Amino acid sequence: MSASIEQFTQSLRERMTVPSLGLDDDSRFAYWLLLPSIAMMALIHFIPMVWGFVISFMEVNDSTFIDWMSAPISPLKQYGAIFQPDTAVGAEFWSSLVETFLFAFGTTIGVYVLGLTTALLLNKSFRGKFTARTLVLIPYFAPAVATIYIWRMMFTADTGVVNELLVWLGVINSTDEVFWLIGNNALISMIVVNIWKNFPFAAIMLYAGLQSIPEQLYEAASIDGASRWATFRYVTLPQLKPVTAVIILLMIVWSFINFTIPYLLLDKNPENGEVLMLFIYNFAFQNGDYSLGAALSIILLVISMVISYGYYRATMQSSVQGGAV
Amino acid sequence: MGGFPSEFELSTDARDHLIDAFQKFVLGLILTFTLFPIFMMIATSLKSESELYRDGLHLLPSTLNVQNYVDMWARFDLVGFFLNSLIIAGTTTVICLTVGSLAAYAFSRYEFPGKGLFGLTILSTQMIPGVLILIPIFILYITVQREFGVPMINTYHGIIFIYSTFTVPFAIWMLRGYFDTIPAALEDAARIDGCTRLQALYRIVLPLAMPGIAATGMFVFIIAFNEVLFASAFANDGVTPFAIGIQKFQTSTGTHWTEMMAAATVSSVPLLLIFGLFQKQIVSGLTAGSVKQ
Repeated sequence: MSASIEQFTQSLRERMTVPSLGLDDDSRFAYWLLLPSIAMMALIHFIPMVWGFVISFMEVNDSTFIDWMSAPISPLKQYGAIFQPDTAVGAEFWSSLVETFLFAFGTTIGVYVLGLTTALLLNKSFRGKFTARTLVLIPYFAPAVATIYIWRMMFTADTGVVNELLVWLGVINSTDEVFWLIGNNALISMIVVNIWKNFPFAAIMLYAGLQSIPEQLYEAASIDGASRWATFRYVTLPQLKPVTAVIILLMIVWSFINFTIPYLLLDKNPENGEVLMLFIYNFAFQNGDYSLGAALSIILLVISMVISYGYYRATMQSSVQGGAV
Repeated sequence: MGGFPSEFELSTDARDHLIDAFQKFVLGLILTFTLFPIFMMIATSLKSESELYRDGLHLLPSTLNVQNYVDMWARFDLVGFFLNSLIIAGTTTVICLTVGSLAAYAFSRYEFPGKGLFGLTILSTQMIPGVLILIPIFILYITVQREFGVPMINTYHGIIFIYSTFTVPFAIWMLRGYFDTIPAALEDAARIDGCTRLQALYRIVLPLAMPGIAATGMFVFIIAFNEVLFASAFANDGVTPFAIGIQKFQTSTGTHWTEMMAAATVSSVPLLLIFGLFQKQIVSGLTAGSVKQ
């Protein structure tokens, strides 16, 4: 049965004349394998991205979006509004951009420091190590929506456990509840939640990185009489550089376009700390101004790409090149 | 003379003990930070609403109250939300792994013109803000509905196609790392024995890569299970997933925290169980892509 199918496919292959395009068999086979994923990404990622780029130069909104092609074209209306401080969007754009940067960098630093600490602590043998490693990973695997709501509940001003703990510890008075989800505090809350959610990822990547450092390097350092700190500084850290590059790049980019945490933690309340993703969401979907949302998204995309490219050039090209997402 | 070295050894020993104790303490703090929200979720799910709003710090429920676990099913169609999530995330996982493993294999084994460009393409998809492509995809789906009569919005296949594509770049990256660890000599031998390239892939490489494929599948499932932005636009009515459904505990009159936490606890159980069972594969699968041995 299977032999006849193979014969059939074999004869089919012989009869099919695929234009060679001057490519060898291996390359053509590779392209066939890549075809489905490229087609999917073209439909869902790249055509809509170009489309969004086009929309950002038009005036597409709630009433015109079904028949978007006949929407008026006004090349620089949206971008002009964003960079003028006296418009509704321009007045808040820069503060929102700063907020986004603080969110991304706060998260990245926190995730890396906590992740590295955890990885170093797990990289020794002790009783209960396997259990500890399992428990540390829980935030990454528990359903995100559920866990963000837990944090939201904990940060609630009047009944949240964070304020209750602070009162119990004597840090604040029971009448001066801190509003964790409003204003500048909202940024802190978002960073804490994002660190909590993502540090296990960094920890496990760095843990694997530590495990792959050749033992000989530590032996050599010990023969040279290097201190703990010197060993860490001159052996461990340089060896972790490729993993570090991937983690930092991923954390910055993922924070930049993170929608779930600000949206679920802060809700749609415009008085809360607004990172760009939330800002865009409010303009595009609450106000129905899709072109403005698209223009803001393009700016966010360009910033992400510039940062990634700069980072990619500045660090280990080889470790990010090709495959690493 | 004899006393000096032993005294010296004792003091380094004591220092090591101190460092060891300090390290245990720090690990304890990290684990507390990690697990405290999970503890609060379970504790709150066992409290009554009146107890939740009582002043002062009281972490544990005074009496175990399982009423939330009964009431939450009645308030919303949680079973339906959960089933929808399983259908959407499960199908997404299958499609993504099929498409992704083909591409990852090509990427791992073959040199072809444009390989570097393909890598950059994968990387760049990770930077596209969801809000940028949401409206165009919405228009695309509406056009398909109008022109071809195929319903796309608020259907399983509509959201599954979006999620499968979103997760493919990540899957390619992870699977490629896995394929890299399988010696190419095995396929060469199979080719000499008369296998075609495709046969070598599904008879030799895929079975060997199963642990990595399982781990990747877990990640894809989790991403699809947790997505919110596109689900809120493309998966309503009959196909509402859990990630959208749980938000309904937030009503205009307030949030039903105790019932919401009961729902959150129930939803965490299957994911954490799968994770517990496949922990080893997941950890090695996650790290295979980025750490070259």
